[in-house]
Amino acid sequence: MTIRMMISSAAERPAAPRWFGRLEGEISGLLAALILVSVLAALFAPNFATTGNLLDILRQAAFTGIIACGMTLIIVAGEIDVSVGSAIAFSSALFGILTASFQLPLWVAALGVVAFGVAAGAGAGAIRAYFNIPSFIVTLAMFSALRGAAMLMTDAIPVPILDEGFQVWGNGTVLGLPVPALILLASVAVFTVLAACTVFGRSVYAIGGNADAARLSGIPVKRIRTVLFALTGGLAAISGLLMTSRLGAGNPNIGFGVEFAVITSVIVGGASLFGGKGSMLGTLLGGLFIAVLNNAMVLLGINAYAQDVANGIVVLLAVLVSTRAADWGRLRRRL
Amino acid sequence: MLPTVARPDAAVDATTLMKSYPGVQALNRVDFAVAPGEVRALLGKNGAGKSTLVRILCGAEAPDGGTVRIAGRAVDMFTPRHARALGIATVHQELSLVPELSVAENILLGRWHRSRRGGFIARQALEREAGAVLAAFGVAIDPAVKVRTLSIAQQQLVEIARGLSLQPRVLILDEPTSSLPASEVDILLRTIRALSDRGVAVIYVSHRMDEIQRIAHSVTVLRDGRHIETRPIAHASTAEIVRLMTGGPDAAASGPRGMRPLGDVALKVRGLTTAKLRSVTFDVRAGEIVGLAGLLGSGRTELLRAIYGLDPVVAGGIAIFGREPAGRSPRAMIRQGVGLAPEDRKKEGLVLDMSIAANLVLAAMHKVVHRMMLSRHRQAQLSQRTAARLSIRLARPSDLVRTLSGGNQQKVVLGKYLNADVKVFLLDEPTRGVDIDTKRQIYALLDQLAAQGTAVLVASSEVEELMLLCDRLLLMKDGGIVDERIVAQTSLADVMAIAMDGAHEAGMDGRP
Repeated sequence: MTIRMMISSAAERPAAPRWFGRLEGEISGLLAALILVSVLAALFAPNFATTGNLLDILRQAAFTGIIACGMTLIIVAGEIDVSVGSAIAFSSALFGILTASFQLPLWVAALGVVAFGVAAGAGAGAIRAYFNIPSFIVTLAMFSALRGAAMLMTDAIPVPILDEGFQVWGNGTVLGLPVPALILLASVAVFTVLAACTVFGRSVYAIGGNADAARLSGIPVKRIRTVLFALTGGLAAISGLLMTSRLGAGNPNIGFGVEFAVITSVIVGGASLFGGKGSMLGTLLGGLFIAVLNNAMVLLGINAYAQDVANGIVVLLAVLVSTRAADWGRLRRRL
Repeated sequence: MLPTVARPDAAVDATTLMKSYPGVQALNRVDFAVAPGEVRALLGKNGAGKSTLVRILCGAEAPDGGTVRIAGRAVDMFTPRHARALGIATVHQELSLVPELSVAENILLGRWHRSRRGGFIARQALEREAGAVLAAFGVAIDPAVKVRTLSIAQQQLVEIARGLSLQPRVLILDEPTSSLPASEVDILLRTIRALSDRGVAVIYVSHRMDEIQRIAHSVTVLRDGRHIETRPIAHASTAEIVRLMTGGPDAAASGPRGMRPLGDVALKVRGLTTAKLRSVTFDVRAGEIVGLAGLLGSGRTELLRAIYGLDPVVAGGIAIFGREPAGRSPRAMIRQGVGLAPEDRKKEGLVLDMSIAANLVLAAMHKVVHRMMLSRHRQAQLSQRTAARLSIRLARPSDLVRTLSGGNQQKVVLGKYLNADVKVFLLDEPTRGVDIDTKRQIYALLDQLAAQGTAVLVASSEVEELMLLCDRLLLMKDGGIVDERIVAQTSLADVMAIAMDGAHEAGMDGRP
């Protein structure tokens, strides 16, 4: 067979290696936006550029950011999980009950909570994968059921957890950094590697890009979908434990709206709800962008409801910009 | 009769069209004019500029330079809507129907207001109008049924009926018969002739020489973005056209097939029965290329899907090199060394927004794993090797598969399974929408694979292709194998006759 591999000259096309399409442009755009909003905040918002405040932003961003790592993969796979806010509440309530009513050691209870989060996620994922029910429906059911279960368990009353060692997880610092922020960075690191450098991650992108083609290529689509939801269930449980530690109580009334905050970070970070596209770095920047924006608005004394409006506008703008950029890019590279 | 003399004003007249994409001059000073009532065949290899020309004429893209005149008026706006308003109807190769809507609603898609009554769609009026279009077209499809329930061939006829319902001045048909069985091709060709008699200019993009010889008045051949030649059909033999398309004197339609030694039975199918298959039994030996022939809907695709574990099996089973497969999923089959290149490569074969390299290793990711991680280096090496072996041109492994032409995309599908070390290759319409040159490369590749001991089972609607490629043909009808032929001992006409009426008695000259 003749070898006729004609490679167009490097001058004609950008040479950066691309594995999953065009992400670099969006990442740099997002980074620029983050820097811009940070500079503006530093100039105009009182006390923004202080170590304490910046660390606080990191801590606040961590609770949603940890879950956003898993959510990125779920959205890249073309799925959605709207149950994570309720999963946080359930984890917190369950932890309170296990430690207060069952007197379990804290670390045993924590392991149990995470194990339950993984199992519940795996269950949702399995229903999605094996019964072919849209993930929005499955997790919508979980959204309702987990919140209800959390309320039932605790009679809607927070269960105090008074252990100084445990409170370090939500409130303490290591090397000057808040513990949740460290856990966030660790999660981002692990999931970045998972997404970009493993067979599992590649399979997730392939399923999101074309599930039929992935299946015909021997990728275990059902198994991977199940694992995805298990991962996010586990992350939601971890985030729930950190919030419990931060608040000092197992509380069924927390986590309201977290699912949408998480999805917002992922979308602002450049992932496509149609699947096949998204990155951990984008999600991290997206989450930080929203955290900085909200923090600055608080410092400027802007009405809390106005912040919600601003968040809504940010999501729309981000998606518009990313869609236009994609159109333009496609036009440019069409042969 | 060439209508050019009778009607000197061209229905569509493009002059010195230019269009370039990064790295490619897709059209280079192309002149192209079609007279009213003329049927013009447009030929060229993939990448020759056919698609670009069609896209410009139907308003999907604006040219970089040059002018397009429709019935003497220069076109300044290139939008599909504007093109439609000027009387250009286009039927694309890929179907664009809404499956959940009725045939009538699809045919009149976007023009329901014409049969609207007080804000509501008047269904009967809609169906009457669509029914009239179908009747004029000579097609018996109920306009009230949902498109979802139709066969692909029927859907294609609906698509064409939609183009005709616009009463166009110019009708562009982009590979319209690629999924039509002979009976429906005849209907289409008759309709084209009738339209031509009524003064409609038809641009007919196709690779099928027999159809072109039957209906075209003239042919235009493009190559490398240039207009090579336009000539009356009387002066365009198949060999001549192939020469113009390839630019070389090498016009031989078939290469000599080397004799390959046959090995053990690689794929054994025994009494395989599914919802759409009736107790299918046959063997394919290592080194053998076996073809599945038969009309659309005869069960070719269904047989491949059942072997690959995609459809539930009611009875019977298969064995790969004497062993029953451990599982009946695509994953298990690939582990056993079986790969299926599906009919619809965009929908089932490729992840279009991933790179060529990522697609090439999709079925064999374990091969590029180093210390639990995907190694870019190994992936680059492997994909570079595969791309070179398949001569995927004008592309780097990091480019998105989406940017490749149909033929090169098909090569990526094949390469994916080569990398997975497939020993039994199942291919469904492997050269659909692929240019002649790439077809030949794919045939040569399959021949080479068979020589190395791979068993190949290929389903195709083009019997000529199977005659060219296969050692042996299995003839299918209504989900069962009705006959079998050794290619060297049979003729095209014989096989076609069996395929078309499923006759068992036609075994006079074929059987040893």
